[in-house]
Amino acid sequence: MARSGRSQSTVDEPLPLRPPGAPARLLFFGLVAAGTLLAWYGLTRWGGLPGFLLPSPAAVGDRFLVALRDGSLVRHTGVTLSEVLAGLGLGVVAGASLGYGLAKSPRAERLLSPYIIASQAVPIVAIAPLLIIWLGPGRPSKILISALIVFFPILISTIAGIRSVPNDLRDLMRSLRATRSQTLRLLEAPAAAPFFLGGLKIGSTLAVIGAVVGEFVGADEGLGFLVNLGRGLYDTALVFTALLVLVAMALGLYSLASVLERKTLRWREVGKDH
Amino acid sequence: MKRPLIPAFLMVLATACTPEAPPSPAALQTIRLPMGYLPSVQYAPFYVAEARGYFAEEGLALEFDYAFETDGVKLVGANDLPFSLASGEQVLLARQQDLPVVYVLGWWQDYPVAIAASASSGIDDPADLAGRTIGIPLLGGASYIGYAAMMSANGLPLDAATLQVIGFTQAEALQAGQIEAAVVYANNEPIVLASQGFPVNVLRVADYVTLASNGIITNEATLRDDPELVRRMVRAAVRGLQDTLDDPDAAFEICKRFVEGLSGETEAVQRSVLSESLLFWKADRLGYSQPAAWENMQRVMIEAGLLADSQDLAQAYTNEFVP
Repeated sequence: MARSGRSQSTVDEPLPLRPPGAPARLLFFGLVAAGTLLAWYGLTRWGGLPGFLLPSPAAVGDRFLVALRDGSLVRHTGVTLSEVLAGLGLGVVAGASLGYGLAKSPRAERLLSPYIIASQAVPIVAIAPLLIIWLGPGRPSKILISALIVFFPILISTIAGIRSVPNDLRDLMRSLRATRSQTLRLLEAPAAAPFFLGGLKIGSTLAVIGAVVGEFVGADEGLGFLVNLGRGLYDTALVFTALLVLVAMALGLYSLASVLERKTLRWREVGKDH
Repeated sequence: MKRPLIPAFLMVLATACTPEAPPSPAALQTIRLPMGYLPSVQYAPFYVAEARGYFAEEGLALEFDYAFETDGVKLVGANDLPFSLASGEQVLLARQQDLPVVYVLGWWQDYPVAIAASASSGIDDPADLAGRTIGIPLLGGASYIGYAAMMSANGLPLDAATLQVIGFTQAEALQAGQIEAAVVYANNEPIVLASQGFPVNVLRVADYVTLASNGIITNEATLRDDPELVRRMVRAAVRGLQDTLDDPDAAFEICKRFVEGLSGETEAVQRSVLSESLLFWKADRLGYSQPAAWENMQRVMIEAGLLADSQDLAQAYTNEFVP
């Protein structure tokens, strides 16, 4: 017997889970942001924490506007963003190239993977001062640190993506006498795209961390420098301002990677409809 | 079951007969003391005072907390901790942001910052710095203050030299020739560099201007509510400082219990670091803060744009607790 006036089939079959639409996502984001702001305000208002330990949202807002008006925030953000984009680009090119090579050559992977994994066990903060000595205190050292952090997730996702191509499809390409570049363009790249773009989403946020680590160690520009400066001057509102811009930068890059993922992988949705 | 009365009696007798017996560990007040971020022979007075029981005699048990200087200042400013080690400029910077910290013991009588240049650079006078590229760990803190003070004391504008932020890689950058000079600590990098066969010319800021340097800070609440705690802390630290100055060899041996890597190849270098540090600690009255040093510090910081206005320095430091 049907309950609540629904048909029998509706009761027996679970409703498919549909991803929330854009308005619902925006509403959720707004609610979480408002809740966080309220909790933050409550902590500063009634938590007994002095402003130099936890500045109020209003104090951070004021500091943000001051830094925006005097041009320092835009200048330092531009520096960090340029390092992040260059590091991300370098890390993606290096990781994807080596990843493709290793995916195609299990022998090379067996030979090189111990070294690659070992390189990831070295804390980047420990070698950052050395990189700054070797490359000098300018932007190249920050770009390299950023690229080094991005490299590994891109490498691993590329290997996984290329290895995910079914053998029968490879056989099909071979039977059609496809060239190596045709196989890459028409089979391997589309098949590896979901993995690669997943790695890119991780790498885009890590690139921000990499650049800031470099700026922490030695820099006179960039948002990492601004955090250091704020700490040194006990200007905690400035520290929060720089951190919030860094978070926004990482979120922006992640969102761009997500948009790229949706656009690139649209063909998969088309395939599902048929 | 009979209680062992004789051993208990002997213990009571022994305790009663011991002159100035320190309080039992359970009775000691634990003090977490933020200091620099690594154990170092430069903290010898505190290690000596702890090892010889001077803090315990004052009813204190010290926990050395190796952390960033600014974090220690914040914790003291928030009254989460009663004491921290901090340099004079940190006190003024913190007070500018309404952190109620007060400097109560002037451990370093002279500012240890210096500018080191390779012996072949031709830099052997502050006037030679004009037009040069100088490496500096960061554009803030003691290094920047020291640089600003050196330039100011010699009538040079801040931008007379090109500053290059290189992190704490001064020794390596100097040897690699990436910079012509570096802002360093006079009691550390020049000694390390000389031991590596790279002699440097050292221009000590202290030779040109007196600045408030490292010491113990507390907060206004502790000064108001428990001045005796401040007195006990300062008294024990000064005893450790005096012992270190009187017998540096013994102090160095004590340091080995607190600092790793003081034996073997590095021993001679670290012993020299301690010897050089002693020169900055000597004073007719240990722990005394020189008013001129604070006035100079404030002036330099205002000139460098680090302080917006002058402060009431009588609120920033006191010699009231110095024995």
